[in-house]
Amino acid sequence: MSVIKDISEVAKGMGITFMEMFQPTVVENYPDGPGIFKGAKFQERFRGMHVLQRDENGLEKCVACFLCAAACPSNCIYIEAAENTAEKRVSGAERYAEVYNIDYNRCIFCGYCVEACPTDAITHGHGFEVATFNVGALVYRKEQLLAIKPAQMGDNAVFNKQEMETQRVLPG
Amino acid sequence: MPDVNITVDGKKVTAPAGTLLIEACKTVGIEVPAFCYYPGLSLQGACRMCLVKVEKMPKLQTACTTVISEGMAVTTDHEEIHQARKSMVELLLGNHPLDCPVCDAGGECELQDMTFSYGASESKYTEAKNHKEEQQWSPVVFFDRPRCILCYRCVRVCDEAMDVAALGIQNRGSGSVIAPNMGDHLDCEECGMCIDICPVGALTSGAYRYKTRPWEMNHVATACTHCGDGCKTTLGVRRSETGMEIVRGDNRDKSGPNGDFLCVKGRYAFDFANRTDRLTQPLVRRNGKLVPVTWDEALTYVGQKLAEIRSQSGGASMGVIGSNRTTNEENYLLQKFARVVLQTNNIDHQRTADFAAFAAALAGRPDATASAREVFDAPAILLIGNDPTEQHPLLAYQIRNNVRLHKARLYVVNSESVKLRRQATLFSQIPSGSEAAFAAFLAGGDVANGANRDEWNALRDQLRKETGLVIAFGSELRGASIASLNKFALSVQGAKLICLADYANSRGAADMGVYPDLLPGYVPLIQGSKFKAEWGTLPDAAGLTLPGMVDAAKSCKLKALLVVGANPVFRMKLDPATFANSFLVVQDLFLSETAAVADVVLPAASAYEKSGTFTNTYGDVQLVKQAGEITGTKSDFEIIVRIAERMGYDVAKLVPFGSGSRADMGQSRGAQSGEADRHAVWLEAQGLELKMNPFDPTAVFDEIQRLVPGYQVSRLNLMAGNDQHTRLDQNGGGAVGDPALIQPANDGLFSSGSTGRYSKTLNTVMENRNRVEMPKVAAD
Ligand code: SF4
Ligand code: SF4
Ligand code: SF4
Ligand code: SF4
Ligand code: SF4
Ligand code: FES
Repeated sequence: MSVIKDISEVAKGMGITFMEMFQPTVVENYPDGPGIFKGAKFQERFRGMHVLQRDENGLEKCVACFLCAAACPSNCIYIEAAENTAEKRVSGAERYAEVYNIDYNRCIFCGYCVEACPTDAITHGHGFEVATFNVGALVYRKEQLLAIKPAQMGDNAVFNKQEMETQRVLPG
Repeated sequence: MPDVNITVDGKKVTAPAGTLLIEACKTVGIEVPAFCYYPGLSLQGACRMCLVKVEKMPKLQTACTTVISEGMAVTTDHEEIHQARKSMVELLLGNHPLDCPVCDAGGECELQDMTFSYGASESKYTEAKNHKEEQQWSPVVFFDRPRCILCYRCVRVCDEAMDVAALGIQNRGSGSVIAPNMGDHLDCEECGMCIDICPVGALTSGAYRYKTRPWEMNHVATACTHCGDGCKTTLGVRRSETGMEIVRGDNRDKSGPNGDFLCVKGRYAFDFANRTDRLTQPLVRRNGKLVPVTWDEALTYVGQKLAEIRSQSGGASMGVIGSNRTTNEENYLLQKFARVVLQTNNIDHQRTADFAAFAAALAGRPDATASAREVFDAPAILLIGNDPTEQHPLLAYQIRNNVRLHKARLYVVNSESVKLRRQATLFSQIPSGSEAAFAAFLAGGDVANGANRDEWNALRDQLRKETGLVIAFGSELRGASIASLNKFALSVQGAKLICLADYANSRGAADMGVYPDLLPGYVPLIQGSKFKAEWGTLPDAAGLTLPGMVDAAKSCKLKALLVVGANPVFRMKLDPATFANSFLVVQDLFLSETAAVADVVLPAASAYEKSGTFTNTYGDVQLVKQAGEITGTKSDFEIIVRIAERMGYDVAKLVPFGSGSRADMGQSRGAQSGEADRHAVWLEAQGLELKMNPFDPTAVFDEIQRLVPGYQVSRLNLMAGNDQHTRLDQNGGGAVGDPALIQPANDGLFSSGSTGRYSKTLNTVMENRNRVEMPKVAAD
């Protein structure tokens, strides 16, 4: 009796397996796929590593208003503001972020910062390869987060640090 | 005044006749929005935000100018009112820039709040906004014209409360614009009251500008560390790479005796603490040069050396110079350290007022001193000597506003034509140096030479008719003159006295017995049995005074000298070689003139970086809370305890720690920190909190409250952040010493010798003033 029951259970399970063999593939060929995303595919609104955007003149959009830092539930954004001068203009408004750090040890990718930003300066990119053996490396500085060129000039979904460096082009 | 009954939104309100409707509403918790109305300033009726509906009146009324009358029925919440307020906000926003993300007021802007409340987020205007460039009026005052909502608060506070009138209005109607008195820049006291009072971000502070945002700071309520007035200040603190950085000072919550007042020093001159040339490592002299060493090395060296000198030459060969800007606990601990550990009475500080003689005069006379708050309410004030506008800005502010709001009578007796004469009922200019003669005259003596007999007689007669007279006197009066003045005060009903000293804790240093002949509470050495019972044996003979120690050092009799938060080489203009034959240990913030010639320099924390209490010149004791933090420094308290330990002394005898029954491990930072604070207050009040370590100043404050007469103030109120007036009547008797021992610093509004000279903002302001004033002098 029990043998028949066992066999029927196995057959039932294998039946599902065989059925699935004829379904279309949903697994991505990551990380061996083509392109800078190595075969990874994203929903358009996937919230990955942040990108600090530039305006159409190539100036930084962030005006160091600290609203993202205020909105952040895990308190991982650290900003130091400075004033733009005639000689050194970094952002479009009176002041800019001299230091802008996001601590990815703590970020939960909730998107509140993006929501809070009045100048659409901070956005989520698609980068997700942040794993490291050194937690110190998870505090990303402004230089690492900043978009290379204004958004309308191309895809700013910077993938990871390495590509950022190889793709670096001057704004404008 | 008879009471008047009205109803506001159905609630019954009873208030004295003459009360403004807006204030009456506040008493039942109904807030009427207002831009131009500011309590204590004249009425303006400019913004029309405070519109309310009053029954039987055809149109909406402004609550800020309407005086309540019997039976008035008021509605503050009505569709019509909302509409009116909404359109007022809409008009204000008509030419207002969309600057909130970069505006310093963002997050604490009254216009933002109103826009949120009344929702004028859409505008009917399509015209381009009229932009005007931002202007800098002084090193600390910036003006952004399009953000100004023309409430005229700044103009009124500068004119009425400050009596400076440096701001005015140009043009008329919608073309009105706020303008500084010198056309394009300000010539004023730079107090920053206009910036503080501005409801929007039109006036911004050069020191705080763009540094941070309100929600990014921790706010710490403590006392100002500059002059002797003891203003309460709320410091905005932010983390920085060296610890915690103070970025802003104000007192917007109006707690403390000063309300929202702070002078230029309180508002900006905290920045000495953030300087990069602060000492952060102990220095020891080796081969003639000061080299950095570890704390352990430096303290062990100091401990060994002091113990060696004590056993070889005795305590009488050592001296201690205390400070005018360390906390009460530190001063108390320092003199205890000198007396019980070093076994010497050679301890003194730079005395800027004769508190010993003041105590001697007032012994046994209850309620004879006035608090800073009382100056604002007193019916009459007599000011002898001193120039409060320059030396005691809060006193001047209290006097000015008392005269303006309460019609107090002010009598000024001075050798200079001081600015406060403008508020005086009677101003008597006396020959320079005749203040003592005037005091003697008041006490019934004869008219001094050269003085106007009739004028003095008339003044004295008038003063005798006053009740509740507050008499404030500067350091011109010392020793016997203070006794004369007290004799006169006894002849005036309810008269109270104020002795004016220069620094943040000058009074505290005196109260805590940093004297060679007086124990804490002005107890003469021979009467010190109470202290002996707790501390053990004390040296009996009076020690050397500050000049006495300097002389002893010159004649090689002073083998060791510990200088805490003082700079005798600079202050007394000494030859730097004076201390060449003494083992000199200096605890200070900077490598001062004295520290530069020391054998060991120990980097101390400033008063913004430690906890404890301060006593202002009036005798009000206030809590000092740690705001900033500089890595590498230690509080003077901790340094003294550690030195005592290295000298082989049992620290539990020096600091009675270990009492109490429960500890609170509440969060000291972050959103929950207030909870811990409140909990701490409760624990204190119940006597439950555990003093776990020998560096806990409250353990010493326990001892102060137990042993020092006059300090039995309410701990609950003190811990809750309220100023508490100490009593001088039960003091130990004081002493009348040599008047020459009093060496006032005579700092002005823009200087405060000890720490102010390290303030970048203060120096910039001063430089700017000199630069601006130059052509004016040339044109005269
Ligand atoms: S990223 Fe946006 S929200 Fe954050 S500081 Fe910059 S402007 Fe403000
Ligand atoms: S995504 Fe969320 S957690 Fe991460 S920085 Fe933005 S607000 Fe903070
Ligand atoms: S004054 Fe207020 S409303 Fe105007 S820009 Fe500044 S924060 Fe915004
Ligand atoms: S500058 Fe500020 S305080 Fe002065 S009128 Fe304008 S809004 Fe009011
Ligand atoms: S009046 Fe004195 S205590 Fe008050 S802020 Fe000015 S310096 Fe500080
Ligand atoms: S507050 Fe009443 S008119 Fe401005």
